[in-house]
Amino acid sequence: MKNPGILVIAFFVCLSAQSFALESIDIYGYFESQYMGTRLNNRFHQLYSNKLRIDLTSAISEKIDFGANFNYITYHGKTNWNILEFLSNKIATGISPENQVLYTIPFNDRNYLDNCYIRFALPFSDLTIGKQQISLGTGYVWNPTDVYNIKDVFDPTYEQPGHNSIRYDIYIPGGISVTTVYSPEESWKMSTKLFNLKFRLSHFDFHISAIESNWNFHDYEQRTPESRFFEGVDECRRLIGLSTAGEIFGLGTWVELAQNYMEKSQNFHEIVCGFDYTFDFQTYIMMEYYRNSLAKNDYQDYTLTDWIRLYTSEQKAISKDQLYMMIQHPITDLIDFGVSQIISLSDASIAFVPTLNYSMAQDVDVLFYFNINIGKSGTAYAHESGNGGLARVKLYF
Amino acid sequence: MRRILLFTAYFILLIPTITSSQSYSGKEIIEKVNELLNPEASYGKASMTILTTSGDVRTFIYEQWSKGKGEKNLVRYIKPVRVKDQAILMLNNADDIWSYFPRTRRIRKLATHAKKQKMQGSDFSYEDMGSGDTFLDDYSAKRLEDEVKQGYECYKVELNRNVDSDASYSRIVIWIIKENFYPICLNYYHENDETFLEKVLVQSEIRIIDGIPTAMKSVMNNKKDNTRTQIELINIKYNIDLKDDLFTERSLKK
Repeated sequence: MKNPGILVIAFFVCLSAQSFALESIDIYGYFESQYMGTRLNNRFHQLYSNKLRIDLTSAISEKIDFGANFNYITYHGKTNWNILEFLSNKIATGISPENQVLYTIPFNDRNYLDNCYIRFALPFSDLTIGKQQISLGTGYVWNPTDVYNIKDVFDPTYEQPGHNSIRYDIYIPGGISVTTVYSPEESWKMSTKLFNLKFRLSHFDFHISAIESNWNFHDYEQRTPESRFFEGVDECRRLIGLSTAGEIFGLGTWVELAQNYMEKSQNFHEIVCGFDYTFDFQTYIMMEYYRNSLAKNDYQDYTLTDWIRLYTSEQKAISKDQLYMMIQHPITDLIDFGVSQIISLSDASIAFVPTLNYSMAQDVDVLFYFNINIGKSGTAYAHESGNGGLARVKLYF
Repeated sequence: MRRILLFTAYFILLIPTITSSQSYSGKEIIEKVNELLNPEASYGKASMTILTTSGDVRTFIYEQWSKGKGEKNLVRYIKPVRVKDQAILMLNNADDIWSYFPRTRRIRKLATHAKKQKMQGSDFSYEDMGSGDTFLDDYSAKRLEDEVKQGYECYKVELNRNVDSDASYSRIVIWIIKENFYPICLNYYHENDETFLEKVLVQSEIRIIDGIPTAMKSVMNNKKDNTRTQIELINIKYNIDLKDDLFTERSLKK
């Protein structure tokens, strides 16, 4: 059989059939159908995707449990997006037609084992081995202390992928915990090592993190003539981070700080602080500020490399100071409406993101969001980045 | 300010008392109700059914553990699949709240304003789900003329929000069974209009569980939104031995 994904699905189906006899195995998941459209350079482009995720969890014993999920995604419509089309003429011109293909992001059908881990519950500790989600930090949109994931600013709550790791959590009475993570790569130096101490002071949770990881940065304007690949630089990144979450004067409050010490390139820091509040009439508001000293203050300084690093998630931001604001209200018992604004304070560009969540049935959710960029040409949320939206139906089973 | 959230209102401890009922003041009655609403320890499984404005029905099944007279609470959803394993941990009488989202495996510390949010879109806010000390701390009690309600001889007590309180209702009127101090009906009035009846909670099918009278069914009628939410107990146990490590972030992820 050509497609290994089919084999894996068949495996899960067989397993689910057997699971009727094994009460400890739990199989569930979701089907997600998504439509994304955007107006770009006076043309409207569409991308459809269908995703099937099958989750499998099993409590093998009281002390051992297993979890895995398999994902199968198909893409349709415009499945090749050239990043240059999203950029200002000033940045995009100068790239020869034969090189333009190098800046294309393909959306190919894929199937993958996103998570697959076994967890041992030991006295006062948990040991988790395998591919697992690792979420770090207290920020809602940006997480300076998270070296594993970069969230989509338009869709920050979407699930993050699993990472192959060995994780050991030690729990100490009084709300203290110590987490160590080792994510092996081809050598010890290139592997990610993480230490996190969590403790509680008054009504605040604090996390202190120390992380060493390999960061592969590319220069998207330099490549050897004979190569199709851009030049990359592997360098050691050491991060010291602090994050906290609690409440001040009734407002939910969080802060996340990270200082990054780079082996070759310049050191940089990231800062996040935010607050949220729910009114009696159910309206929820949230604001989060983000600074990334690696990003730039003046949009005239943005380079092609900066943009490609942003679109390929090598870098979290292109503009130094940003603000995320959200207001959300349940307009009926089944529909939530919200508007987010992402503001680049550095270049005075704004993206508006109206969202609508509809609980269509007990296990069916529908999400609509639009993104409207109104910044001037060349800015982080420039109008040429395309205005469009997304509709997502998710059926849980 | 201590507040006790969530489901303790439905897992009620009662020390049966035969009293000379006429002598109680409003405050004394509420103190006795407050004592009932905070069992030493409990475990329950319940089904919550929401009848929406469009006539659609949403049903949630969850488990809840409580210890220390409501000082510690853990709630974990079982059904539907969409929210399976989502959990909420509340410590220090809900002054510290954490929520867990299994899809992202992320634990988020929430501020106490989260108690104002509707529980899974139901007519219960997290604040409604418990009464506990909020009746004593946020309101002043005044005894009204006794009435018969649902066939029970009841005390009728009016709670008026204290000036310095940020509680969500301006006024609450409660009917309390004289025989056992069980609150059988609660009328909640709008936060800015003490004449506007916003919600009515009716508790029924009262049974004695582990020696404690318990409402097996609670219905919240939302007069403002014209919706209704019903909670039915599937299973309930009181005064059980619950270990402290059940109420930790570690157990949130289990």
